[in-house]
Amino acid sequence: MNSLTNISRRNFLKNSSFIAGGLVIAVNSSSHAFNVTSDNNDELFDLNAFIQINNDGDVILYCGRCEMGQGISTALPAAVADELEADWQRVTIKQGDADEKYGRQDTGGSESIRTMFIPMRTAGAAAKEMLIAAAAKVWKLSPSQCYAEHHEVKNTQNKQTLSYGELVSIAANIDVPTTPILKNKADFKYIGKALPRHNQKDIIQGQLTYGVDTKIPGLKYAAITHCPVFGGKLKTLNKHDVLKSPGVIDIVEIPRFNVPYGSIGGVAVVADNSWTAQQALKKLTIEWDLGENQNYDTKKYKQQLITNVEQPAKFVAERGDLTQAFNKAAHKVSATYTGGHLSHSPMEPNASVVWVQKDSCEVWAATQSPADIQNVLAQYLNRQPKDITVHVTMAGGAFGRKFKCDYVQEAAALSAKVNAPVQLIWSREEDMRTGYYHSINAQHIEASLDEKGQVTGWLHRAAFPPIDSLFNPAVDRPSENNLNEIVNHPFGIKNLRSESGEAKAHTRIGWYRAVYAIFYGFSFATFADELAHKAKQDTFTFLNNLYDNNDDATQAVKIKRSKETLALAVNKSAWHNRHDLPKNQGIGIAVHHSFHSYVAMVVHVEVNNDNIKVLNVDCAIDCGQILNVDGATAQMEGAVVMGMSLALHTEVVFKDGAVVNSNFHNYPVLRITDMPKVNVHIVENDEAPTGLGEPGVAAFAPALSNAVFAASGKRYRDLPFTPLDI
Amino acid sequence: MTKSLLINGKEHTVNVDDSMPLLWFLRDTLEYTGTKFGCGAGLCGACTVHLNGQAIRSCITPVSSVVNQKITTIEGLSDNGDHPLQKAWIENKVPQCGYCQAGQIMNAASFLATNAQPTADEIDNAMQGNICRCGTYQRIKKAISDASIEMKKDV
Repeated sequence: MNSLTNISRRNFLKNSSFIAGGLVIAVNSSSHAFNVTSDNNDELFDLNAFIQINNDGDVILYCGRCEMGQGISTALPAAVADELEADWQRVTIKQGDADEKYGRQDTGGSESIRTMFIPMRTAGAAAKEMLIAAAAKVWKLSPSQCYAEHHEVKNTQNKQTLSYGELVSIAANIDVPTTPILKNKADFKYIGKALPRHNQKDIIQGQLTYGVDTKIPGLKYAAITHCPVFGGKLKTLNKHDVLKSPGVIDIVEIPRFNVPYGSIGGVAVVADNSWTAQQALKKLTIEWDLGENQNYDTKKYKQQLITNVEQPAKFVAERGDLTQAFNKAAHKVSATYTGGHLSHSPMEPNASVVWVQKDSCEVWAATQSPADIQNVLAQYLNRQPKDITVHVTMAGGAFGRKFKCDYVQEAAALSAKVNAPVQLIWSREEDMRTGYYHSINAQHIEASLDEKGQVTGWLHRAAFPPIDSLFNPAVDRPSENNLNEIVNHPFGIKNLRSESGEAKAHTRIGWYRAVYAIFYGFSFATFADELAHKAKQDTFTFLNNLYDNNDDATQAVKIKRSKETLALAVNKSAWHNRHDLPKNQGIGIAVHHSFHSYVAMVVHVEVNNDNIKVLNVDCAIDCGQILNVDGATAQMEGAVVMGMSLALHTEVVFKDGAVVNSNFHNYPVLRITDMPKVNVHIVENDEAPTGLGEPGVAAFAPALSNAVFAASGKRYRDLPFTPLDI
Repeated sequence: MTKSLLINGKEHTVNVDDSMPLLWFLRDTLEYTGTKFGCGAGLCGACTVHLNGQAIRSCITPVSSVVNQKITTIEGLSDNGDHPLQKAWIENKVPQCGYCQAGQIMNAASFLATNAQPTADEIDNAMQGNICRCGTYQRIKKAISDASIEMKKDV
């Protein structure tokens, strides 16, 4: 059901962090077809946001989308402010506590703006019309003689004005209009502009409270060390006389909580301050029974994945006649691509404060899923989800890791044990070693070309432990669903076969910014470059031919938008002058469609021996209507940095079951010295908003591999290009 | 003798374990949470504060080694967020999640105080100890460059 409802006079929001008063509209947008219906029911279902205009005229958007740097807390209020004709500085966003009235509040999948854009605009437009109707009542004019402008209503008959604050109590009694009229794009004041983030000033003065900064009276502090191997358990714990150390409160074993987002198992110390807890933890002697995954070795495992994809694997999908295409081929090209596990490693490590009391459980945490915290803690404490209060804080980066609340369940365990509020902050080592990693992966592609250099057949095998393995341990390879990106790729090769190679999980696998698009983008866009080379065509021409040869009408829009995005990036770059570059420089291109958006990257490198220096990146993004153009640019710049890290430097290495990496010296994420010049170009069109947080990451690594090939003749097919030697 | 530290112009008694890093004294004892924990090993720069005006990594600096010294944290860099770097940060819309930014600004402030006219390479070298996972590096470079130009005008 989709609706807006005037709930100004209702009481149901008490006992939440909401302060009642003024005009309040509830937004329910449970599907993408958003039709406003008038709703006078007392029962309200599936709500996800509230817009409140209080008696001072300030506008507060209560919207459950977790801010982690992607800028959602600035973008959504802008959509409301624009339609509402509000002063955008007087529109702020508050994250609701976890409450079914706000919906699940899950934030991920690059879908917040895509799903909330129209509902937010509609709510803003509806509120504006109600305020106009209220003013019309006061002035005894018709609404058509009134108009809203910058937080006030004016009229065409006289010079009187009424501020929103003056009107809310009347507007609160007016029914929500059933068909609010949305603005035309040409009239946007905030949408599509470069509004600064709401919280910038707090950030630069150290005033913004992140999850890890939460302080409450009586707080105790904890440090934890986890079982190093997934599936293991504690064997022996020698506490020595650590309990006697000044400031140490307790030493607590936390068994593995065997639900997907539960603790992997660990031993923690609770103390009067973080340092005491950390030091006391080091003095314990702990032995682990490592369990079934104790032989996990990523070097060996990757070799096995390669073997699994370089031979026939489990059939997934087929179209056309691949055998015939291969038999008639003028040329065949094949390649195997690999990628390592990745660690999210946001700058803020996992941390939370939990206070478990007899009749309450209160959580303060940076999280991407407040509802999952309620569910997991309810299960762990044997209580009801609605009795778990979750205050959502600002997140110092997340990239998918903070979807998993194992770090919160652990704090709950500690709080329950010591009967006090406990802050648990994971050390960087624990954060790096106790992850839900991006899937280690291997793909093998074979393709046939005819005499004209057209691609006639495509065989694609993929093997990676999928995210499903976290929820179902019996899963031993990617599913048909996990291989959809192969079948649905806008290259639209007519004769195609996909196969799934065996890949059992030996660690926890999770969503990592861009997810499977990271390795599908890499394989498709690098292999396309290899095919172009074989066909003796430049890659831009080759890609355009591929798209033009796809006559599948259902993919026409994807083809058009892919081509336009690619052309924008290429035409803005030095691609057309690449033959004038010095011999050791090269330009590579890549384009990929993911999260409903289109990204192209053009990377210009210089290669000296094996040293790769990225000089310049031109990238183009088509994500439809952009809410905040500065936020969009920032996301693309950040995607280049993350793409470059995973292409050149970072993978999580396992030996003897455990993660070898421990801190930033051996998980060498990109630093400022490697930052190239990045130019972001935005495709202008009238499409609806689509994903932006993730798509950029998928296109960088292939463009880089292609650039390095152009510059040096050396082809990298692994992520990272050179295995991490640790 | 009572051990104390001058932090942002205010004197604080130090009554904790000698080995406690300054970072945790600031965050847990004094509850100044503007200075961030990122790695605990001096590798990421999130914990950067000034010791007598110079950048140090507070996560690996025992509090006992800085007693009776002058510490400045991000909260004390300026009265109203109006240090030229802070203004340049706003102007260039640098922060994304913002967690690393206090450390970035503090490191840059110390650097500019010793090198008022840096080249782009000098900025890179000075800032390479500060990690940003959101990838705001391009804007950090521009903001530091802008601030250095602004600070030259004030001289």
